[in-house]
Amino acid sequence: MAVGGAAETRGPRSRYGRRKQRAGVWLMAPAGVYLAAFLLVPMGMLVYTSLQSGGAFSGRFYFDWNFANYADVIVQYKTQFARSVAYSIAVTLACLLLAYPMMYWIAFYGQRWKSSILMLILVPFFVSYVIRTVQWKFILGDDGLIFGPLKHWGLLPEGFRVLATPFAVIAGITYNYLPFTALPLYVALERIDKSLVEAAKDLYSSKWQAFRRVVWPLSIPGVFAAFLLTFVPATGDYVNATVLGGPGTTMIGNIIQEKFLFEFDYPGAAALSVVLMVAMLILASIYARVLGTEDETLTAAI
Amino acid sequence: MNEREERARTDRLLQEAMRARLSRRAVLRGAGMGVAGVSLASLLAACGGGEPEPETPADIFAGEPGPTVNFANWPLYIDQTKDKDGNVYHPSLRLFEKKYGITVNYEAIIQSNEEFFAKIRPQLQAGDPTGWDIIVITNGRQFNLLKQNGWVYKLDPTKRPNFEENATPFARDPDYDPGNEVSMPWQGGFTGLWYNSEKTNGPVTKLDDLANPDKVGKNSVGMLKSDMPDFVMIQLGIDPATSGPEEWKEAAKWLMMQRESGTVRQYYDQGYIDDVTAGNLSAGMAWSGDIVYYKLWAGYPQLEFVLPEAGSLLWQDNMMIPVGAENPVGALMVMDWYYQPKIAAMVTEWVLYLSPCKGVREQILKDAEQALEDGYKGYANKLYQTAEAEIAFPSDETLAKAKFGTNIMTDEQAEEWDAIFLPISQQ
Repeated sequence: MAVGGAAETRGPRSRYGRRKQRAGVWLMAPAGVYLAAFLLVPMGMLVYTSLQSGGAFSGRFYFDWNFANYADVIVQYKTQFARSVAYSIAVTLACLLLAYPMMYWIAFYGQRWKSSILMLILVPFFVSYVIRTVQWKFILGDDGLIFGPLKHWGLLPEGFRVLATPFAVIAGITYNYLPFTALPLYVALERIDKSLVEAAKDLYSSKWQAFRRVVWPLSIPGVFAAFLLTFVPATGDYVNATVLGGPGTTMIGNIIQEKFLFEFDYPGAAALSVVLMVAMLILASIYARVLGTEDETLTAAI
Repeated sequence: MNEREERARTDRLLQEAMRARLSRRAVLRGAGMGVAGVSLASLLAACGGGEPEPETPADIFAGEPGPTVNFANWPLYIDQTKDKDGNVYHPSLRLFEKKYGITVNYEAIIQSNEEFFAKIRPQLQAGDPTGWDIIVITNGRQFNLLKQNGWVYKLDPTKRPNFEENATPFARDPDYDPGNEVSMPWQGGFTGLWYNSEKTNGPVTKLDDLANPDKVGKNSVGMLKSDMPDFVMIQLGIDPATSGPEEWKEAAKWLMMQRESGTVRQYYDQGYIDDVTAGNLSAGMAWSGDIVYYKLWAGYPQLEFVLPEAGSLLWQDNMMIPVGAENPVGALMVMDWYYQPKIAAMVTEWVLYLSPCKGVREQILKDAEQALEDGYKGYANKLYQTAEAEIAFPSDETLAKAKFGTNIMTDEQAEEWDAIFLPISQQ
C-alpha cells in the first residue's frame, strides 16, 4: 500500500469495497431466501403445531398455548428418548473408531489412490437408504448368506441371530452413517502439514507421541464436524429400528412417525420433534465446550 | 335395465337443454368447480341467484365423463401383461378404455394407508384437488377420517348398476360404510395365522400357539401391528364391532403376555414377507393373499396359511372418489366396471384376494376349461388352484365367522385405543 497515493486511491478502492460488500449480500440472498422459506417457516410451523390442541376426528386443531403437549411426550417417551441417545452415542463412537484409522491412512499414505478410495466410500450412496438397510436382512438372515453356513458347520449355536436385536439397529445405523463421519475426518486430516509430523520426529517424539500431540489436536475440528453430522441424524433415525429392530428397540424417530401417521397426533409429534431438536442442540454445545471454543471448532470444521 | 337406461337418457337430454341456456357467468362458475361442477346446484345458483345448495350425489355424478381417470391403487393389485413392444398394461382396464374412449392413468403408488393419507390430507383439508379420481383405502382409521370430514364424494347409487346387481353380501352395506355411501370395495382379504412347517413343532392353528415357545420357538413370531388388536379380540371371542375399552384391555393383556413369553421377533407395519421367505420367522399373523401366493406360485411349499377356528379378521380395500376429483363421473364408471364377473375374474386370476363381485369363481372355472382346450395346461392348473383357494372363495361358514375390525370414530376412542395398544410395540 503506497502511502503517497492514498488520497487518490481511496475513492475507487472504497467504492470497490462497497460494491464487493453489496455483491456479498447478493451472493447470500438466494441461499438466505431459500433457508428462510424452507427452514425457518417450517420450523415456526412446527413450534406452532406443537402448542395446539384438538383431534383429527373432531376435524380441527386449534392453537391454545398447550404446553402440556411437551410435558406429556417427555414423560411418556423418556425410555425411547434415552434409548435413542444411547444408540446414537454407540453409533458415533463406532463410526469414529472405524473411520478415523481409515481416513488417517488415506490422508497420509493414500497418495495417488486417495480420490479413488474416497469414491469407493461414497458408492453406497448411489443406492437408496432403505434398500441398503433391507439388504442386511438377506445378508444377516438367521439362516442367510453368513449365518446359514456357519450354523451348518456348527460354528454358531442354532438359536444365534443378529437381526431384531439392538446390536443390529446400532450396526445398521453405523453402516449407513459411516460416510458422514469419514468425509469430515478426511478433510481435517488431509489438511495437516505432513512436515509437522516429521518435525515432531526430529524432536525425538515417538510415533504415538507425534500422533497424540500433533495429528490428533489438529484433527479435532474434523472430529467435531463428524460428530455433528453423525450423532444428530442418527438419534432421529427410524428406518434401521423399523427394518432391523425387534421388540424393545423402538427409537424416538419411530414414535414421531407413528404419532404423525397412525395416531394423527400432530401436536404431539411436533412437540417430540422440537424436544429432540433442542436436546440435540444442548448436547452438541456441551460437546463443543469440551472440544474447545465453539466458534473456533465450527469455523474450522466448515 | 331398460327403464334405467331410459331415465339416464332423459336426464341427459334435460341437462343438455339447460346447458344451452346457461349464461357465460354460470359456465365460468361451473368450470371452476371442475367438470362435474356444471351441476344442478350451480345451475340453480346461476339462474335464481340464490345461495348454492350443497352438491348432492346426483349433481356430482350428472353429465358426461371427462376424458381421463386418475386411479391410485396398491402395488400388484390388478391383472397385468405385456404387449408385443414389451410395455406393461392392464387388460381389464384396456377393455374399459376401448369401450368408453376414456383413458385411465393407473398408478400403483399406495404403499400404506397411513402414508398415502398423510400425503393427500393437506390438499383435502385446504379444499384443493388431490389429482386423483379414485383412491383405494382399507377400512379403518384413515377411511373413517376421509368419510367423516367429507373429503370423499357420496356416490350416486343409480350410476352403479353392476355393483347393485353383483356385489357380494360382505361387500354390500359393510358396517364401516352403511349403504356403500362413499365406497365400493376393490378387493378384500383375511388376516389369519401362518406357519412354516419346517420351523414349528407341529401345525399352528390357534392364537395361543403364537405365545408358546415350545411350539414356535423364541424370537420367531411376526405380528402385524395395526391388525393385532382386532385379530386377538376375535380369537378371544370378542366381536370388534361391539367392543369397548374393557375388551381392548383384554386383548392388550394377551399381547403383553405374548411379548413376555419371548416368542415375538418383530411388530411389523409391512414388509414381513421378506422375513417369512428368508426363514427368519416360524409363524405369525399374515394377510391371506401373501402367504398363499408364495406357497402356490413362488416355491415355498413349506408355508401354510390358516383361517383360525375362532374366526378371521376381514378387511376390504375400498375405492373412493376424493373431493375435488376432476372426473367423478368417469371414476364411478371405472369402479362399476369391476363389478362385472368377467372383468372381476381377470383381477382375481392375478391377485388371489377376496373379490367383491359375485360369479367370479364360475368365470374362472370357465376360463380354466378354455385354457385346457387351448392347450395351456399349466395356466389351467393355476386357475383351478385359484378357484379352489379358500381365501379367494371362502365357505359360508368361514365368512360367517370373519369379522371386520373396530371402527374408531372419535378422538376419545382413538386416544384410548392408542394408549392401550401402542405401548405393546413401542416399549
